[in-house]
Amino acid sequence: MNAYTKYFVKKSGWYLATLLVALVLNFLLPRLIEGNPVSTIASQVSQGMTDSDSIKKVYENFMKEFGIDKPLIVQFGIYLKHLFMGDLGTSFGLYPRKVSDILASAVPWTVGLQLPAILVGWILGNVLGAVAAYRKGLFDKVLFPAALFINSIPFFTLAIMMLYLFGITLKWFPISGGYDFQMAPHFSLEFIGSVIRHHTLPFLSIVLVTIGGQAIGMREMSIYELNADYVLYSKLLGIRDSRVARYVFKNAMLPQITGLALSLGTMVGGSLICEIVFSYPGIGTWLFTAIRQLDYPLISGCTLLIALTVLLANFTIEMIYGIVDPRIKAAQMEEN
Amino acid sequence: MSPNMLEIAQSDVPAARRTVLEVKELKTYYKTRLKEKVHAVDGVSFALEEGKTLGIAGESGCGKSTLALSLMGFYFPPLYYSSGSIMIGGIDIMQLSKEQLRKRILGREIAYIPQAAMNALNPTLKILHFIEDIMKEHRPELTKSQVREMAAERFRTLHLSPDVLNAYPNELSGGMKQRTVIAISTILNPNVLVADEPTSALDVTSQKAVIKLLKELIGKKFIKSLIFITHELPLLYHVADDIMVMYAGEIVERGTARQMIFDPYHPYTKRLMGSIIVPEEGMKAHKLAAIPGAPPNLKMAIDGCRFADRCTYAADACRHGKIDNRTAGERVYRCIFGPGTLKEWYASEER
Repeated sequence: MNAYTKYFVKKSGWYLATLLVALVLNFLLPRLIEGNPVSTIASQVSQGMTDSDSIKKVYENFMKEFGIDKPLIVQFGIYLKHLFMGDLGTSFGLYPRKVSDILASAVPWTVGLQLPAILVGWILGNVLGAVAAYRKGLFDKVLFPAALFINSIPFFTLAIMMLYLFGITLKWFPISGGYDFQMAPHFSLEFIGSVIRHHTLPFLSIVLVTIGGQAIGMREMSIYELNADYVLYSKLLGIRDSRVARYVFKNAMLPQITGLALSLGTMVGGSLICEIVFSYPGIGTWLFTAIRQLDYPLISGCTLLIALTVLLANFTIEMIYGIVDPRIKAAQMEEN
Repeated sequence: MSPNMLEIAQSDVPAARRTVLEVKELKTYYKTRLKEKVHAVDGVSFALEEGKTLGIAGESGCGKSTLALSLMGFYFPPLYYSSGSIMIGGIDIMQLSKEQLRKRILGREIAYIPQAAMNALNPTLKILHFIEDIMKEHRPELTKSQVREMAAERFRTLHLSPDVLNAYPNELSGGMKQRTVIAISTILNPNVLVADEPTSALDVTSQKAVIKLLKELIGKKFIKSLIFITHELPLLYHVADDIMVMYAGEIVERGTARQMIFDPYHPYTKRLMGSIIVPEEGMKAHKLAAIPGAPPNLKMAIDGCRFADRCTYAADACRHGKIDNRTAGERVYRCIFGPGTLKEWYASEER
């Protein structure tokens, strides 16, 4: 077994262990929230009933149906057993919809919103940051403070301001939802147009913050690399500027790639605020609803999905990074 | 230094004399953020002959490294060229465009070894790929396999393992990295190699290996001549044929290595020799003495001798007007006093 395979196996072990801990927390934390999900649901169902016995019966039925009458440890066992069979359980709040169905309907919205936004923001941010570092002058003097400014506004403030300005005041874009309410999702130009109109504002808000953060990071990294000794040395050997610039930007990009992978990993979880502000029908909105209703299986399902994507992204970066950057590879080998 | 390093120094017999580099009244300056000019190299002239090693010594901030960079004809903020000429192979490189300089001079006629060779290599580029990039600029007709062959051949000749070519810089030790940088810098057989403190960050064993390598480059005629910049004067005794001492942006004295070490004329050279920690024969009797005071501020024009304020022998005449060079045999030094007067003073000092 070579050093890299050994490293791979060892890292995989660590990530599995982390996943197990995450599983326990996913299960446990929602159940530690004060309150009882069944009492709300039972009171809704038993509206109009006067007989306290039948109300109690409804309550107990739900307790049994949801399986929360048993001790926690038994519930955990059942949860794990179902999980290994690919069953995330049944939602309490949207009973009897399956959690996996809800997630499956929400994931495309979240990914469809976040993935292009993060990619576009990341690419634009890095290009702008690199150009600012390389060209300096007026371009840098305008871009850098602007990026700092945007990056310093809390995201929810920015999102609400955009919603207010473009949605409510100027009425350029709709203010909530993933598509017009009166439509049913289907394949038509009209529906796609509606989706795009609803998509634009949340998309732009994410692009804007991503550009800010990435441009600042890339600018700093590029300035650092541009002043590295190898730049001068390479130029003094007659290597043309464009080739030296390639060295610089490749090296400056490395930490930025980590940033991209991390933000793709946290994409699902990071969408929470954006989706709530724009009432976008993705994972974030569902998680928010689930927490308000103490919908244990749905909360656990959402957080499990988030944990999985974060772990997977981190694992992928660690594996790829070792191949791209020889310094990190050396450090990885030493660990073994 | 060990005795066998002396042998290396003495076995190197210089060949026919032909000037490879001639610098005339070179002036360069740094521009500070407050738009002040710091005249770091202020009217430097010297010539370098084929087969010779010229040592440049001086304390920190005297302009040694700036001179090294200035010699490359390559200026970038905050360093600016003011006036003077640098003749290499009959061309004044200051008259060339940036692109001509890059294509015809840098790496081919004159090459550079930076002060911190540890960081001189791009950490994410294999040594061979870096050499390939250099060849793409200067020898585009060569194929990749020819470049590989040529580089491996050169590394073998210089007693470096060709395996180094497939390594990333971080896989090499400090001494190895330094020798690799030297091998890369000289791969196009430049006429002049400018080495800025190439041994300063190394342990004694690695220093020896680096100096041996530099000698070998001249011996095998891979380079025609070497400029070796250091703050360690005694080291120059083993490396250099001639030594120039720099002070406050000017050359204050030039002579052969032996003359400069054992019989300095200029009061600054004398003081510099007196402030060195060297457990070496013929030099161990002296007491270690620091030079009082600090070098002058190079942002302002200086009237008279730049060393006057720190010189124990300074007279009124030293503080006004331009101090010209005096020539005494092979020796050139910038002082108003004759060798006789100075020697008398030095002798009385030792009594």
